[in-house]
Amino acid sequence: MSQTEAKTMTIEEPTEGRKLLGYLLEFDNVDDLTHGAEKVRDAGYSNWDCHTPFPVHGLDHAMGAKPSHVQWIVLACGFTGLLTGLFIQWWMNAVVHQGNVVTGYQYFISGKPFWSVPANIPVMFELTILFSAFASFFGMLGVNRLPQYNHFTMYSERFGQVTDDKFFISISSEDPKFDVGKTRDMLSGLKGTYLEVLED
Amino acid sequence: MAKTLTKPLSQLSTELDNTRDQISQPPLVTGGKTFGNITEIVARVAEHPSAPKAWYVAFAGAVMLFGLLFAMLAYLISTGVGVWGVNTPVAWGFAIVNFVFWIGIGHAGTLISAILYLFRQKWRTGINRFAEAMTIFAVFAAGIFPLVHVGRVWVVYWIFPIPNQQQLWPQFRSPLLWDVFAITTYLLTSLLFWYMGMVPDLATFRDRAKTKVRKIVYGLFALGWRGSNRQWIHYEKAYLLLAALATPLVLSVHSVVSFDFATSQLPGWHTTIFPPYFVAGAIFGGFAMVVFLAVPARELFGLKNLITLQHFDHMNKIIMATGMIVGYAYAMEFFIAWYGGNPLETFTFENRATGPYAWAYWIMVTCNVFIPQVFWFKKARTNLWVMWIVSVFVNIGMWFERFVIVVSSLSRDFLPSSWDYYTPTWVDLCTLAGSFGLFFFFFLLFCRYMPIVAIAEVKGVLPEAHPGHGAHAAAEAKA
Amino acid sequence: MNGKQPLFPKWVDDVTRLIAILFAGGLLYLVTLTLYATSPRNTAVGYMPGQPIPYSHKLHVNELGLDCRYCHTGVETGAKANIPPTQTCMNCHNTIHNQSPKLEPLFESYRTGKAVEWIRVHDLPDFVFFDHSIHVNKGVGCVECHGRVDKMETVYQSQPLNMGWCLECHRNPTPRLRPKDKVTDLRPIEEVLGIKTESGIMDACSELAKEYQVNPKVNCSTCHR
Repeated sequence: MSQTEAKTMTIEEPTEGRKLLGYLLEFDNVDDLTHGAEKVRDAGYSNWDCHTPFPVHGLDHAMGAKPSHVQWIVLACGFTGLLTGLFIQWWMNAVVHQGNVVTGYQYFISGKPFWSVPANIPVMFELTILFSAFASFFGMLGVNRLPQYNHFTMYSERFGQVTDDKFFISISSEDPKFDVGKTRDMLSGLKGTYLEVLED
Repeated sequence: MAKTLTKPLSQLSTELDNTRDQISQPPLVTGGKTFGNITEIVARVAEHPSAPKAWYVAFAGAVMLFGLLFAMLAYLISTGVGVWGVNTPVAWGFAIVNFVFWIGIGHAGTLISAILYLFRQKWRTGINRFAEAMTIFAVFAAGIFPLVHVGRVWVVYWIFPIPNQQQLWPQFRSPLLWDVFAITTYLLTSLLFWYMGMVPDLATFRDRAKTKVRKIVYGLFALGWRGSNRQWIHYEKAYLLLAALATPLVLSVHSVVSFDFATSQLPGWHTTIFPPYFVAGAIFGGFAMVVFLAVPARELFGLKNLITLQHFDHMNKIIMATGMIVGYAYAMEFFIAWYGGNPLETFTFENRATGPYAWAYWIMVTCNVFIPQVFWFKKARTNLWVMWIVSVFVNIGMWFERFVIVVSSLSRDFLPSSWDYYTPTWVDLCTLAGSFGLFFFFFLLFCRYMPIVAIAEVKGVLPEAHPGHGAHAAAEAKA
Repeated sequence: MNGKQPLFPKWVDDVTRLIAILFAGGLLYLVTLTLYATSPRNTAVGYMPGQPIPYSHKLHVNELGLDCRYCHTGVETGAKANIPPTQTCMNCHNTIHNQSPKLEPLFESYRTGKAVEWIRVHDLPDFVFFDHSIHVNKGVGCVECHGRVDKMETVYQSQPLNMGWCLECHRNPTPRLRPKDKVTDLRPIEEVLGIKTESGIMDACSELAKEYQVNPKVNCSTCHR
């Protein structure tokens, strides 16, 4: 497999007079990518990333990436939903607020009490789920800074295959450790198949 | 085995029965596919300039039925609910039957997506997208009925707690209002879950698109996804959380729907068995609908290696198991009616099995309890024709279950002088047919233009997707 | 390298951000709109249609001292207060201003027997059963719903008349009460009672509420039958 085969890498040269955005190194399998990521991590880069068609487990560790904290956003919003469910039912059905434009309305139904938590549990539950679901989706988008339609990796012709069957490591020229020559030398030592120079 | 069905669009490979003769874990994807193959198989459906002929035939039928639904709703709204067959004592008729039926169909999608995800059942990847889409369109179809049955559709926003001039609020002690919250939450959460799972696949479509329009449309919906691992980390966590949230949700939704009945005082409705019984029935009917749609879809769109016989084997087992839970509930209702000693309850159930609606009751029992028993046999579980026909019967049976619950209980109320026989009008029947039109209209469009299999997830269950697989394989080869 | 440009240029991201902000702002705007802008306090109050005859309540009530009940005869005994028939006007206008061109529609009505087509100002929805007599006989002054008609040249709607507004009084009727014999007195309560302090007024009103057994209902069928 990958370890035994000798790989040849095509390496592009930067063009004079164009703005360098970063490097993009293509891999054709998960193992080479993972080993490559470990090397980039150890070289101390920060503004770099791996791109894969599906989540690759173990790559987080190879990249030295921190685990996600989306769950705290979800927990906070879920709790807000629970309290919202409790509060709106109390506000709307259990009490009347004199002289308010937005006041409650006490329905007298079959002699039931105006305020009875068991009857309010289904709505509290549903609102907890609703708020948490929105939090996990929009929280994920927020943490990932999506939608981002313009990114330096998209200046590449080959990058489209990341959603098919190719794997990439991208290093942005904005990385403090980025150096046109040294970064290129470091990347060309990895088991990639194509080193692309991204320019505007 | 499947050779008897229509000739598939795909000539990619022959079918492999991966349900038998396995020593260890059978492969989830058959035919020795690579990452690129999977992309190709799924994307080709949407990229092909023309759909299979059967698609056009089905779509034309769906459009006509959808049009019929519009006509019926226009007639209903312009004339009034008198065009329906509902009257005293059967004040809840087809609208509620259809509503519960469609909501039930909508349960399998989230079950497959969320519960099987949490249980690490990797076989879900082949069918989850498909089932999620089915859920959403089934909830669309379901949502129409409560909206129109209120009579004055134009003030239907009153069911939501919106500040208003009347200073009135919805009445939160009513299960009908819980229903509003449950269904709304379910629709929105399922939509988010579906869309979120689809983002990486839409990016695949974007990157493969040839025309400018497709590039831009898929591109906008893909949100600029670039497969970044730093993003995958958050994405996977959020997806797991959504699954964890959707699991109790899916169980709650049909429980809440059953409260509409169970909190009333009508014999035949007022039973504590209703929430679990409704949930089991919903999963039962929903899975049957998945099988009903998946069998032709995999043939038409060449997805045999992604939706394999093993998937169907699993689903048919679930259908049989939930069918028997439903059968147990039927039996238990009768037992409690007898054991409880309440004469009204006893009469209701005697009436159900022998009264004027006995025909509906026995259709229900036959379709839901007896017919799925064929799935004890592996031959039946892996035969596409058999499972497809059973799935049709189960859907019929589940519709009749709701009919029996709603109509047979109401038609014999506490006052014998008001007893009556409910007959649907032609408007009722056409509206039911039209709701199928709405469902298939959206579903067929989805099949044609969206990633019908979760591409990224299927790739993730291939052995090559895990680091160390290469070294492992090499070591094995040496040994 | 090959100079490929991304599918979406940079400005698309700016537009996306802008849309997100507009969407959030739009939601806020929508809430404000439903709460305030479409409130009947802003849309219904001030409705002042032109009438076929420029009848002035200010002149007749304030300067001439007519009591409301002289024209609106049903107010104490029936659901409707009644718009006076032409004959009521003619009690006086037989002799006063009986040649005035402004009153020509009145004389026309008197000659032909066809009613003057007054335009209704205070119009509740048809599904609301409002009864004037119960309100008047429990000491709710005309002014509470109709405003200072004695100062209106042309009558206009001074209160929103929406359900929430009705409920405000049904939930807390006491401050809106006045002695039954002063119901048609449109002056503010402190002038009517001659009491200056707020607590004094409240005490007097509470006394009235007890005396008249004021106990309004707030269930649906009180007004929607």
